[in-house]
Amino acid sequence: MATVIDKTTPSRDEAKAFARRRMIFAAVLVAIAILIPFVPPFTGQDYKRFLVTGALMAAYAVAFDFTAGYIDIVNFGFAAFVGLGAYTSGLLAVDLGISPWIGMFCGALVAAVVGLLTGMLTLRLRGIYAAVMAWFVGLALMGLVRTLPNITRGSLGLSTPQLLNTADNLPYYYIVLGMLFLTIGILMIVIHSRIGLAFRAIGQNLASAKASGINPTRFLVINFTLSCAFAGLLGGFYAHYYGILTPDLLATNHTVEVLAVAYIGGRGTLWGPAVIAFPLMVITGLLQAQLASMPGLELVLYGLLLIAVMIFRPAGFAGLVTAASNRIWKARTEAPDSAIPAS
Amino acid sequence: MLKLTAVEAGYDLLQVLWGVDLHVEEGEFVAILGPNGAGKTTTLRSIAGFVPPIRGSITFRGTELRASLPHQASRLGIGYVSESLNLFPSMSVYENLLVGAYTIHDGAKVKATMDTVFELFPRLLERRDQLAGTLSGGERKMLAIGRGLMSSPSLLLVDEPSLGLAPMLTLDTYEALKTLRSRGMTILLVEQNVNTTLRMVDRAYVLEQGRVVLEGTGEQLLGNTHVQEAYLGI
Amino acid sequence: MTTTPATAPTNLRRVPLVKRFLTFTWLTIGLAALVLVGFAFVQPSIVVDTFVTGGMWALMAAGLALVFGVMNIPNFAHGEFFMIGSLVAYFVFTPINNAVYNDPSGTTLLKIFGPFPGMVIAALVGFAIGAVLEVILFRPLRRRSREQWVMNTFLLTAGISVVLVNGDELIFGNDFRGASRYWDVPPLQILGVSVSMDRAAVFVIAMVTILLFSLFLLRTRTGRAMRAVAQDEAGAQMAGISLNRIFVLTMGLSCGLAALAGASLLWLYPSSPTVGQQPLYLAWYVVILAGLGNVQGAIIGAFIVSLLQTVTVYYVGVDWVDVLPTLFIIVILLFKPSGLFGSEVKGVWEQ
Repeated sequence: MATVIDKTTPSRDEAKAFARRRMIFAAVLVAIAILIPFVPPFTGQDYKRFLVTGALMAAYAVAFDFTAGYIDIVNFGFAAFVGLGAYTSGLLAVDLGISPWIGMFCGALVAAVVGLLTGMLTLRLRGIYAAVMAWFVGLALMGLVRTLPNITRGSLGLSTPQLLNTADNLPYYYIVLGMLFLTIGILMIVIHSRIGLAFRAIGQNLASAKASGINPTRFLVINFTLSCAFAGLLGGFYAHYYGILTPDLLATNHTVEVLAVAYIGGRGTLWGPAVIAFPLMVITGLLQAQLASMPGLELVLYGLLLIAVMIFRPAGFAGLVTAASNRIWKARTEAPDSAIPAS
Repeated sequence: MLKLTAVEAGYDLLQVLWGVDLHVEEGEFVAILGPNGAGKTTTLRSIAGFVPPIRGSITFRGTELRASLPHQASRLGIGYVSESLNLFPSMSVYENLLVGAYTIHDGAKVKATMDTVFELFPRLLERRDQLAGTLSGGERKMLAIGRGLMSSPSLLLVDEPSLGLAPMLTLDTYEALKTLRSRGMTILLVEQNVNTTLRMVDRAYVLEQGRVVLEGTGEQLLGNTHVQEAYLGI
Repeated sequence: MTTTPATAPTNLRRVPLVKRFLTFTWLTIGLAALVLVGFAFVQPSIVVDTFVTGGMWALMAAGLALVFGVMNIPNFAHGEFFMIGSLVAYFVFTPINNAVYNDPSGTTLLKIFGPFPGMVIAALVGFAIGAVLEVILFRPLRRRSREQWVMNTFLLTAGISVVLVNGDELIFGNDFRGASRYWDVPPLQILGVSVSMDRAAVFVIAMVTILLFSLFLLRTRTGRAMRAVAQDEAGAQMAGISLNRIFVLTMGLSCGLAALAGASLLWLYPSSPTVGQQPLYLAWYVVILAGLGNVQGAIIGAFIVSLLQTVTVYYVGVDWVDVLPTLFIIVILLFKPSGLFGSEVKGVWEQ
C-alpha cells in the first residue's frame, strides 16, 4: 500500500521524461542541502547545529526505511545499533587511541556483525515477532552498556574525542551530509540491483517470492545487516560530534523517533524520510530553544503527526509530493496520467 | 419476507452480482442454484451484511438492509450458516451454541432453543463438551446450523451444506433442513447438488454470471431443458 | 475440558498436540515450579517476591494478550496506561493520605480503605482512555484499511506512546510523584519472611483481579463474546455480536488492568513520564514467551518472568535484571518461535 507502483506501463518517452523529472528534482534538493548553511538564518551556529541533527536524522531514517519500507521488517532495536557503533568507535578512540575516522568504520563493522547475528536469529519469524525480537536484542544491548560500567562508564557517560578540532558546526554539517549521500547512494544502488528486486518481491508478497525461488531469509538478513552497518557508521559520527555517550542513546524511544521520521517522510522511498528529516529537526531544535519551559512538546507533535500519517496518509510526505507533482505534470502536458495516486 | 431488487455487489475491483432479483415468502424453502462463480455465495453474504450492495435494495420484513452490518442483520432475525462455517474452534459445542444465542437475554428461552437443537442433532448432545475444532466435518456442519438456530431467526440462510461431506451425512443435513421447514422455518439455501435440491425445495432460482436466469418451482425447473442440459446432464 | 469418547475419530488429532505441549511447555513450567519449591526452603523471600511482582506483571500481560487476541493490536503504548494509573492514584491518594496524617484519631476507616479509591479511579480512567483511543484512532484506521493491520497498529501505538509520555512530561513535568507506602502498618510474617502490607495487598489485588477477569472471560455473556471475536470475527458477527462494541470494551478493559497495576504499585514505582517502560517490556516478554494473544498463558508466563527477574536480582545483581531475562527469552524463542503456548496463535487479520 505504501509503495507506489505504476499499474500501466508508460511508454519509453514517458519513462524518460519521468526519469529526467526525478533527476532535476534530486539535483535541486542536493543543491539546497549544500547551499543552505549560507542562507540566513541558517548561517548562525544554532541553525547549523539543527542542520547537522537534521542530516544525521535523515541518514538514520534512510537506513531505517531500507528495512521498514522494502522488506517490511520494522527494526525496533535500531537505536541500539546506532549506540553500538557509537560506543565501539568511542571506546576504540578512548582506550586504544584509534583515530575516530577509522573507529567509525569499525563501529559500522561491529554493528553489522551484531546485526547479522540478530537477523539470523529473528528474521525467520513473522513480522511482528521479528520487530519485537529486534526490540529485545536492543534492550539487552542497552542493559549491557549500563551493566558494564568499568568498560562503558555506564550512565556516567563516556567522553569521546571530537572528530575535528573546531567549534564551528559547518565542517561537521558537510561530513554528515556526505555520509547521508553515501547512505542514500549505496542503498539506492542496492535497491536498483537484482538484490533490490528480491527485497521488493519479499516485502510485497512473501509467499509468492518464496514460490519464485527466492530464499527470503537470506535476503532479509542481507538487508538487515546492511541497515545495521549504516546505523553503526552514523553512530560513530554521533560519538565524535557530541563527544559524550550515555546508555540512553540505545533506548527504544530513539528508535521510535527515527521510525516517526521515516513514516512521516513516506516509507519505501528513501528520499521522503531524508527530505522530511531536515524541516522536522529544525522545527524540533527551534521548539526546544524557544519553549524550554515546555519540554516534550516537539515530541508530542511528532507523535500526533505519526498517528495522523498512519491513519490517513500511509504514503506520508513522499506520497503527497508524488501526487502533487503528478497532478502538475498532467496539467502541463495534458498527457494521460501514467502514475498512480498516493494512497 | 425477503426481497432483493436489482442488487449489484462485489469485492474491491471485482463486481460479482449484476442485478439480482429474488424474493422469499414466509415459510418457504427456496434454493439458489448455479455454477461456480455465479454469485450464489455473494448473494447470501449481501443479505447477511458481509458484502454491502453497491446498488439495488434488500428488504427484510419491510426493513431496508442495504447499509446494515452483519450483526444488525442477525439481530433482525436473519440466521446465516456460511460455507466456511465460522465456528469458534477453541470453544466447546455448548459454548458455540451459547454464543449463537448472544442476542437472547431470556435464559429459559435459550435453554429451550438449545434443547430443540440437540433434539434435531442428537450427535451434538454427545459432543456437548468437546471443542468445536476437534469435531468431524459433519458434526461441524450440524454445529454451524445449530448455532444459526440459537438466535431464533425467522429466516435461515444456508450456504452449501453438502460441501465436503460424505453422501450419507449430506442426506442427514438435508433431513434436518426439511424438519426445520416442516416446523415453519423459512430457508434460503445455496446448493451445487441440483437434482436432490430441486426435489426438496418449494422454489428455486438459477443464477448465472451474477444474474437470475431462471425461476420456478422445483418441478418446473426439473423439467426445464436448460436445467436438464446444463446441470443434470440429461 | 472433558475427554472425548474413545470411539471419536477426532481423537487422533489431539495426540501430537498434547505430546508437543508436554515436552516443552510443561518442562518449563515444571522447572519453574520446582525452582520455586526449592527456594521455599533455601531463600523464601525469592518465592514471595516472585509472587508479588508476578501478580502485577500478570495484570499487565493479560491485558496486552487480550488486546492482541481480540483486536490483533500489538500495543506498544500499554506501559503508558501503567503510567496513567500511577498518576491518577497519586492525585487521589495524596489528599486522602494527608487527611490521615492531619487527623490520626478519627480516621481508622480511611487508614484501611484510603488506597482503594485511587486504584478504582485509576482503573476507570485507564478504561475510559483506552475506549476513547479505540473510537478515535483504531476505528478510523480499521475503516480505511486492514492491510498490514498488525504492523500498522504497532506503529500507531508507538505514536500513541510518544504522545502520552511526552504529554505527561509537558503537563506534569519530570518529577517523581509517589507515595512511600499505602498502608502504615507493621509487616506480616509469611514463610518466615517479613512482608510489608503493601506487598501483600498487591498480591491479593492481583489474584482477585485475575480471578474476576478469568470468570468474566469464561462465564459471562460479554466475555464469551470477546473470545468469540478473537476466534472468528465473522462467526461472532453472525451471532449478532457488534464488533465495535467488543473492541471498545476490550481496549478499555486491557488499559484499565494496566492502570490498576500502575496504581497498585505506586509505592514501588513512583509516577513519572517514563515509569511505564519497564512494565511495558516485561509485559511484552511475558506475552512473547506465552505466545501472542494467549491470555491464560500470559498469566502463567508472568510468574515465570518474575521468577527470572527475582533470581537475577538475588544471585547476579540488580543491574542484570534487564539483561539476563532478555537473553533467556531470546534463547527460548529460538526453540519455540511462537512462544510456550503458541501453537494455537492465529492472527485474525494476518495471513
